[in-house]
Amino acid sequence: MIGVELRKQLPRARTWVALLVMAVVPVIMTIGFAVGGPPHDHDNGLFALSTRSGLNMPVSALTLMQNFLLVIVVALFAGETVSGEASWGTLRYLLIRPVTRTRLLASKLAIVALLVVLATLLIPIFGLAAGLPAFGWHDVAVVNPQSQVTDGIPTFGLLDPASALWRLLAATGYVAWTMASTVAFAFLLSALIDSPFGAVFGGLAFAIVSQILDNIPSFGNVRYGLPTHYWHAWTQLFAPTVHAGDMVTGTLTQLPYVAVFLALAFAAFRRKDILT
Amino acid sequence: MDHGAAPDDAPAVVIDGLTKSFSDEVLAVDDVHFTVGRGQVFGLLGPNGAGKTTALRMLLGLIRPSAGSASILGERVRPSAPVLARVGALVESPAFVPHLSGLANLHLYWAAGPNPHDDMHLDAALKVAGLGDAVRRKVRTYSQGMRQRLGLAQALLGRPELVILDEPTNGMDPQQMREVRRLMTRLADDGTTVLLSSHLLAEVEQVCTHAAVMNRGRLVTTGTVAALTGPSNSVLLDVDDRGLARSILGVTTGVVDVGEQDDGLVVRLQGIRSSDVVARLVHGGVAVEQAMARRHLEDAFIELLAEDTP
Repeated sequence: MIGVELRKQLPRARTWVALLVMAVVPVIMTIGFAVGGPPHDHDNGLFALSTRSGLNMPVSALTLMQNFLLVIVVALFAGETVSGEASWGTLRYLLIRPVTRTRLLASKLAIVALLVVLATLLIPIFGLAAGLPAFGWHDVAVVNPQSQVTDGIPTFGLLDPASALWRLLAATGYVAWTMASTVAFAFLLSALIDSPFGAVFGGLAFAIVSQILDNIPSFGNVRYGLPTHYWHAWTQLFAPTVHAGDMVTGTLTQLPYVAVFLALAFAAFRRKDILT
Repeated sequence: MDHGAAPDDAPAVVIDGLTKSFSDEVLAVDDVHFTVGRGQVFGLLGPNGAGKTTALRMLLGLIRPSAGSASILGERVRPSAPVLARVGALVESPAFVPHLSGLANLHLYWAAGPNPHDDMHLDAALKVAGLGDAVRRKVRTYSQGMRQRLGLAQALLGRPELVILDEPTNGMDPQQMREVRRLMTRLADDGTTVLLSSHLLAEVEQVCTHAAVMNRGRLVTTGTVAALTGPSNSVLLDVDDRGLARSILGVTTGVVDVGEQDDGLVVRLQGIRSSDVVARLVHGGVAVEQAMARRHLEDAFIELLAEDTP
């Protein structure tokens, strides 16, 4: 069933366009920085260091794309998977084949997870592919949290390329995992409703609303429980000394959301009347 | 699969008190009972919205019944019941992955299921589809008739013991309709049980051995088509002046009921011959163009259609 699902999703233009965006944007960013110079201000300072080394580029690409572009793509993959089948009408034919509902959802989820990881991986891969020729294989510039940002350029430390690559891999894995609650929510909607648009949009809204709430200080401690609160904890990997605490918390924060949304998705889909 | 669990002589389909209500008070399907024996070509006849598709969806485990049960080949149907692997179906309309070819769709459909690859009768199915080279084109480019035939081919892919076809001739031209009807007869000759839903009386009359008539979620009548199409005690009169004819019929003893449809008045008789009724009308100054004896199935069907358009 996983093979069937793969043969269905891979030839789709939608899949390729989404993955292409993940590959092209880091390249465009690199060209932009190479031509117009490094960007100035950014929250965590890493952005201003983009042009210091080819290995800085994938870090900047991840920073830029995690909040929105990547979210759109994963919401698309997860939101469309079951509801798309419903809107084609093929869902009923799969179920009377028969494929059990649990097995159908499980294989759909497996392919979504695969596509999400693939989409996330493309960002640093193409960030490196474009960044290395543009800015060279140098030590990676990292932010020193104790330092002051002056004139938009923070003082920074250096990281040798080999250890930077390992940290980049860890960061990519973390970024992919931060998508988990959004994926699970869009997947739940996909199993519940028959409109692919609604499920994709719902997934996107979930991540955006969480990010907005996170920016409202009056919510206080509630914000620490939001699924997007620790999204950027991975940037601490690119500091002279790594503080992994926030990454651990961020990883754990996803779990209850994922567990609840997926449990609901499976329970609801098992009982659902298939009317499409 | 445990073929041994159910006796091989169990009926192909048993619908037992099947009921479905969707949130509101209206019952989409209301306490429907019927049995389809092995080897029958069974017609489920009813106007659009009669609950045929909902009943078939419950039979296939797609919709949970509110009450009652359905079984196929002796096995109670639940969502994705294993017995469904022995069934081929066309539900409501054919549906395919649009960006894949017809052939790829058939392959994927088969691969998704539990049956071994060797049990797929692709060549026979492709012959049914009759799509020629178009079978390698994306389904997106197909006409409705082509989809319909590919849907039939998909339903027959595994030489199923039971074929369930929901309005199979939808969107087909008369020539294709004839071919599909011939196909259903051929399936029956090979011993396959066919359950066909249709809103076309003629279709059911032509190909079915047994039938059930549904309207507004309820079962109206069921039996062999031979018995259902036997002569009844009603007559269709094509008259020039319906008003005058009605007033004459209204005072004629033996006329139980007068209904109207496009091609004339439907007059139900009891203890009076139709020739006497015609004589009386002519005597009263009504020209009678035609008088045709009606049959049970037609009666049942037309009556319930009339109910639907008050």
